[in-house]
Amino acid sequence: MKLYLAFGLIIAAVMMLVGLTMRMAQAQWLSIPPDVFYELLTLHGAGMIIALVVCAMGGLWFLMRRRISLSAPLAVAAWALLMLGVAGVVISVVFGHYAGLYTFLYPLPFIGSWPGWATGVFLIGMMLINIGWMIWCFQILGAVLRAYGGLRGALGWNFVWCPKAFAAAGHEPPPPEAFPAVVAGLDGLITGMVAMLLGVALLVRWIDPRVLIDPLWAKNLTYLYMHALANLIIYMLAAFIYVGLSYVTKREYHTSKVFVIAWWSSLVFILTNYFHHLYMDVSSQPQILQYFGELSSYLTAIPVTAVTVFGALMLVWRSRTRWTLGAVFMYSGLIGWVVGGIGAEIDASVPFNLHLHNTLWVPAHFHTYLLGGCLLFVMGWVFLLLESRSEHSTSKLMRSLIFTLSFGGMVVFLLGFYFGGATGVPRRYDTQPLPGPLIAQFATIGVIIMLLGFTLAFFEGLRLRSGFSADRMLWPQNLRDDIS
Amino acid sequence: MGATSKLLLIFLLLAGGVGSVFVVVALSTRQPIEDQTEMHRRGYAVRSKWFLFVTLFLLAAFVATLPFFPYLSRVTAQGPALRVPVIAQQFTFIMPSHLPLKQRIIFEVTSRDVNHNFGIYNSKGELIAQTQAMPDYVNNLEVTFQKSGRYTVRCLEYCGVGHALMEKEFTVGGY
Ligand code: HEM
Ligand SMILES: [Cu+2]
Repeated sequence: MKLYLAFGLIIAAVMMLVGLTMRMAQAQWLSIPPDVFYELLTLHGAGMIIALVVCAMGGLWFLMRRRISLSAPLAVAAWALLMLGVAGVVISVVFGHYAGLYTFLYPLPFIGSWPGWATGVFLIGMMLINIGWMIWCFQILGAVLRAYGGLRGALGWNFVWCPKAFAAAGHEPPPPEAFPAVVAGLDGLITGMVAMLLGVALLVRWIDPRVLIDPLWAKNLTYLYMHALANLIIYMLAAFIYVGLSYVTKREYHTSKVFVIAWWSSLVFILTNYFHHLYMDVSSQPQILQYFGELSSYLTAIPVTAVTVFGALMLVWRSRTRWTLGAVFMYSGLIGWVVGGIGAEIDASVPFNLHLHNTLWVPAHFHTYLLGGCLLFVMGWVFLLLESRSEHSTSKLMRSLIFTLSFGGMVVFLLGFYFGGATGVPRRYDTQPLPGPLIAQFATIGVIIMLLGFTLAFFEGLRLRSGFSADRMLWPQNLRDDIS
Repeated sequence: MGATSKLLLIFLLLAGGVGSVFVVVALSTRQPIEDQTEMHRRGYAVRSKWFLFVTLFLLAAFVATLPFFPYLSRVTAQGPALRVPVIAQQFTFIMPSHLPLKQRIIFEVTSRDVNHNFGIYNSKGELIAQTQAMPDYVNNLEVTFQKSGRYTVRCLEYCGVGHALMEKEFTVGGY
């Protein structure tokens, strides 16, 4: 789905420049008024999440299309709704000066310095995006269920519980990438409906201010939705590890029992982890949920590290991998996933959360897994496509140059957030207390170096594109033979 | 060593460990190729040990953190303490500007308009305690100040364009 990918990457590129602007402002090298800063932050946050969701949607759709039938017009319709929503968000921020951020907590958007219409347009925009997302979930879930024998089949129930009868009947479990699709479909629909409920409540409140909403109820719903959505991005992109890494390592990735059980547990944890966003509602949130939240957040790490990442490492171990740019990006993305996960687990420990909640530690961990994980998976995917079809290949010098600049810069940028968080610098501050600005100066330099690396990668991508030859098969179409 | 440097150290050690594993595995591709079935046999053996280790480690961590949870039970919430109401509003905190040393204090934190957060920084700039300030709800935050000096309260929940300016200073003890 070129449509999805192109838009996702363009939005991401623009939003990286917005990010650079914000970090420079925090470094006090650039002076922008607070209202503009928070408008940029709203755009950056909403834009990046949408950009990566769109890439992940397009990517998973593309991978599943090889195996099951999916209607392209419906996917285009979902995309159109997403774009309409993005337009709404942009109008609301640029013309209406909406600066309530994308994960706002009721009643903020109604008590801001921006006009009421901007809040309304923003809400409607976000709801359109959500509808587009739910249509996609519905489509992919429906198709997977139809193809693999309902919920039971798609979830590999009999494959796990009665393997002998399953094999004797000549059945095969769904391929690995079908599991991210089922989980995204189910969890996406459940949380998407929750978001619609909240959205409608907020719209009614927008039309008639006498309607009151409970702030704690709203906060729970907001985070259930946003946490699941942000999490699903990386779980969806995991499909690329299964397909992409087995392609570069020339090995096979099979659906195993452990693998299936790991996805079952992720299906649940994606929904129950969000409680860690409410640790600091110390007396209002029911206490049992705080304990449950920590336990659930900890256990999430098991399926990821013991199954997906471990499996990926096993694929690579003493394989015949050629470290092209595509392979390098994909493999490094795994590091970002795990390291970001460690940052998240530390923050998800209540005693640490006391010192880290809403400090720069939060953007630290999610930039690690969104920028250093998800975005790299998407870039890896694009490069595998380009490399598979191009007659050119990237020279060793170019590869190490891109590698050093991108990752060297990225590490400096991310460490800036971690150090800021550990020293208590609050997130979402346009002017930070010390040592915030000092750290931001180092981080800004890191960002510039990283963006240089990304720019080089972009031009290298163009060069590869120019060398396309028609008789080369586009990856992963050439995997078809060993599928059927 | 302060809590903050400890946190960073834990994180950097773990991240460094992960990084090294990935580098070792990446370098292994220079070695002669290993057959996938052979690799599976050995890999799965390592994996079951790893699975056991991670699970036990995480459960142990869960148990180890329990005593440090800041939540007050119904009994402790009613124990003897100085009760200090705090009202947050765009963009300030309404609260006393002087508080006693070495006395158990329970801040009763709420908000008049949108969600805020009540984060207490000591004179060294360390974030020592915090709780959300939510309209319609009261959060009880227990703090006993062990050092006299100047403290700063900052808002740690985005509450509008004046969010970064939302600060309040108070002193503790004979300062
Ligand atoms: C060049 C790369 C990037 C730079 C320089 C950058 C910079 C920033 C900065 C300075 C903030 C505000 C931090 C704060 O004080 O709270 C921020 C927030 C954020 N960024 Fe990035 N970022 C980059 C890439 C990304 C990517 C790739 C993603 C995800 C796909 C992303 C997602 C977010 C989100 C979701 C927020 C939170 C917005 C909010 O607090 O409402 N960023 N970023
Ligand atoms: Cu605030």
